[in-house]
Amino acid sequence: MKTIIEPFKIKSVEPIFFTTPEYRVEVLKNADYNPFLIHSNDVLIDLLTDSGTSAMSSDQWAGIMKGDESYAGSPSYFRFKDAVQDITHMPHVIPAHQGRAAEKILFSILGGKGKYFVSNTLFDTTRANIEYSGAEGVDFIGEAGKHPTIPAPFKGNMDVEALKAFIKEKGAANIPLCIITVTNNSGGGQPVSMGNIKAVKAVCQEHHIPLFIDACRFAENSYFIKLREPGYADISVKEIAQELFSHADGCTMSAKKDAFANIGGFLAMHDETLAQQCRNLLILTEGFPTYGGLAGRDLEAIAIGLKEVLDEHYLQYRIRSIEYITNKLEAAGVPVMLPAGGHAVYLDAKAFLDHIPVHQYPGQALVGALYLHGGIRAVEIGSLMFGKYNDQHELIPAALELVRLAIPRRVYTQSHIDYVSEVIIEVFEQRKAIKGLTIIEEAPTLRHFTAKLKPIQ
Amino acid sequence: MKNIKHSWAEPYKIKMVELLKMTSPSQRKKAMKEAGFNTFLLKSEDVYIDLLTDSGTSAMSDRQWAGMMMGDEAYAGSRNFYHLEEVVKEVYGYKYLIPTHQGRGAENILSKILIKKGDIIPGNMYFTTTRLHQELAGGKFEDIIIDEAHDSENEFSFKGNVDIEKLEKLIKKHGASKIPYVSIATSVNMAGGQPISIKNLKEVRAVTKKHGIRIIHDMTRVAENAFFIQQKEKGFSNKSIKSIVKEICSYTDGATMSAKKDALVNIGGFLAVNDWDVFEEARNMVVVYEGLHTYGGLAGRDMEAMAIGIGESVSDEHIKARVGQVIYLGEKMIEYGVPIVKPIGGHGIFVDAKKFLPHIPQDLFPAQTLASEIYLDSGVRTMERGVVSAGRKANGDNYYPKLELVRFTIPRRVYTQAHMDVIAESAASVYERRNKIKGLKMVYEPKYLRFFQARFEQL
Repeated sequence: MKTIIEPFKIKSVEPIFFTTPEYRVEVLKNADYNPFLIHSNDVLIDLLTDSGTSAMSSDQWAGIMKGDESYAGSPSYFRFKDAVQDITHMPHVIPAHQGRAAEKILFSILGGKGKYFVSNTLFDTTRANIEYSGAEGVDFIGEAGKHPTIPAPFKGNMDVEALKAFIKEKGAANIPLCIITVTNNSGGGQPVSMGNIKAVKAVCQEHHIPLFIDACRFAENSYFIKLREPGYADISVKEIAQELFSHADGCTMSAKKDAFANIGGFLAMHDETLAQQCRNLLILTEGFPTYGGLAGRDLEAIAIGLKEVLDEHYLQYRIRSIEYITNKLEAAGVPVMLPAGGHAVYLDAKAFLDHIPVHQYPGQALVGALYLHGGIRAVEIGSLMFGKYNDQHELIPAALELVRLAIPRRVYTQSHIDYVSEVIIEVFEQRKAIKGLTIIEEAPTLRHFTAKLKPIQ
Repeated sequence: MKNIKHSWAEPYKIKMVELLKMTSPSQRKKAMKEAGFNTFLLKSEDVYIDLLTDSGTSAMSDRQWAGMMMGDEAYAGSRNFYHLEEVVKEVYGYKYLIPTHQGRGAENILSKILIKKGDIIPGNMYFTTTRLHQELAGGKFEDIIIDEAHDSENEFSFKGNVDIEKLEKLIKKHGASKIPYVSIATSVNMAGGQPISIKNLKEVRAVTKKHGIRIIHDMTRVAENAFFIQQKEKGFSNKSIKSIVKEICSYTDGATMSAKKDALVNIGGFLAVNDWDVFEEARNMVVVYEGLHTYGGLAGRDMEAMAIGIGESVSDEHIKARVGQVIYLGEKMIEYGVPIVKPIGGHGIFVDAKKFLPHIPQDLFPAQTLASEIYLDSGVRTMERGVVSAGRKANGDNYYPKLELVRFTIPRRVYTQAHMDVIAESAASVYERRNKIKGLKMVYEPKYLRFFQARFEQL
């Protein structure tokens, strides 16, 4: 039996909306060529994000009904805390309404002008929160991670030598935190090896820099370690996850990814003083420490989701599905990031639309084309999301121009995925007709969420 | 109280129940000690009747639960957002909506946008999180509520009213340019859930309009406030709650809402404004703190539950039963001689701890003490709203609020009349042995909002 089936059946369905190409032209124009501004009713297959878009299990829905909504001391909190501790073994568990809120609290305490946060690669909201505190975020992705189409097992690994050199240059005292993002989302959902985590930990320990894991996709990363790293084939994914967290001093997590929740996140850590500071700030912007701005029912759903995600049949199906579409596209000559990542297919927009220069946002142009052709919503991860301006207001482009098609967990079937790959292949065949874009309006931070663009004629 | 009929009944029946745990006196003694004599730190499993707050503790209707199943969890452009936006416009009349995960999320964003260092924000009594957000943004809160609000025995119908003279004096002293907005709460929580009248609100509007100052509405219990207007203000007895709510909002320029109160949901809030520029700035800021502006840190299903809950919250029958239950409990306590804030407010009974325990000075936390005694007696959990909640001034001195209260907050649609009887009886039995009760001493004090996590020991 070669076929890997979904380790679940469908209990409840949600209608999707069919639209005509003519209608989509109007929709995209009205949304100023920004997929974040399209109403979800006008989208057929929504691959904007895998965050908060999972289908919950019947057990999780039962948990939703069991949620205890007491303001303080809810048993749902204690079940949530136990579930987090079972994996992380961290004594302090602080809920937050999403991952970015957990980050906001942590960086408000540790950040500030003149500080540097080092990472394999920081995600967009993470970086924004660091910069908002006045500090700077610096990425040290390993060499393998810089080449989108050349396969390697652990393209999320951090460049340990570059990290050492940076610590020497800036001084450990100015580096309050090292963050390893698993899997590396901005770099194609690529995993980090346990060996790399250990090596980074050794450097951090030597310089007394705490190591935190950005744990959104910890289970997917742990499964890749099992598949690809020598010595881990016979260890359960749960034990691998436990080992991964054992090397860290703390973690932030958006439970909207690997915990199958539609909302929620948390901070967990060993340091009691830091935890108390975090709780004091939590109350201000999130809520009392036993609910952190979440309904009790959402704490239940996260607790159950954290257990379900470590089921190896699920992870096998999950990783295999992403591989399935990636391989299909590769076979058709579409430039995709290789090997397949854990949660999304990443198209290399620079190669896909080699006639569009980076300052005309080829990634965003491709996102628009996918929507027009097939009603698919994807997201640009390139110079619109990460680009900056120099003093002359010229664009400093991002290292990569990617389009991410994030696959929500347990939501779409194989025929949906087949449809998506057909749309991408057809768009690839007609790629020369696609035009670049120019920005007509943008916000000073996180501009990709609300920016307005128009095609260059 | 003459106008309010007692023979109300719930305009709903029970569809689903949640089991309660009963505890013994020795279990409660142990639990209270472990919680540092702070009711916030009790595990809810050790609580029999939970009156800690009416925030997020409502029972949702079957329609709201059905709405939960209709959640559209798309990251951008969820249809639940557009539904909510439409309902907010229709019911409250505000033009632009930014959802947030709770009310304090909206306060955080609003304070950051409108307040500059050195600004003064006048308001009809402080609220803990609201004032802190104002202070952190560099502003200073000034209380302009009428003096009657600080007198627990004064039976004036609209103790949430603004003292217009105080407001005018403040504007004269600081100049309108130093006042980014006047903060108006409907059903003033810290005064005991006391309403503001339409007449007073119109007067505030006239003054602020003259000086070009905005009014921002802390609207978390606006429907309950509207009920008191309908019952007690001249000319409103024939108007629906829905029309009164909309009229209240029409005198303001924007609002922060914790939907966990009036709007009958377990999580959610929003910022609503009529001014496009403020909206645009808020939309850029919400992404950093809360989430993209079409979900604001909420699951789609929670926006749907909120949209439906807002509709239910402005029904005359719902509000009549809601406030009717609170008044039933209050009158029972009055019968037993328990000193409470009068008139009875919209969302809870506020017991006057200074009168209840006159032998305990404010430095020994009479309200905190009383809250722990009530729990020890019956497993009913209440909340301190006195010197602990008031916190410290910038110079480190304690604020000593005139009102030293214990709040018995009634969750919406959750408890029955028999539960109310148990609560009143427990307050009465503690009252009978009040002379034997000693105060508390604070042994741990957090920097912000200390009432949440402070720990105490019995003297």
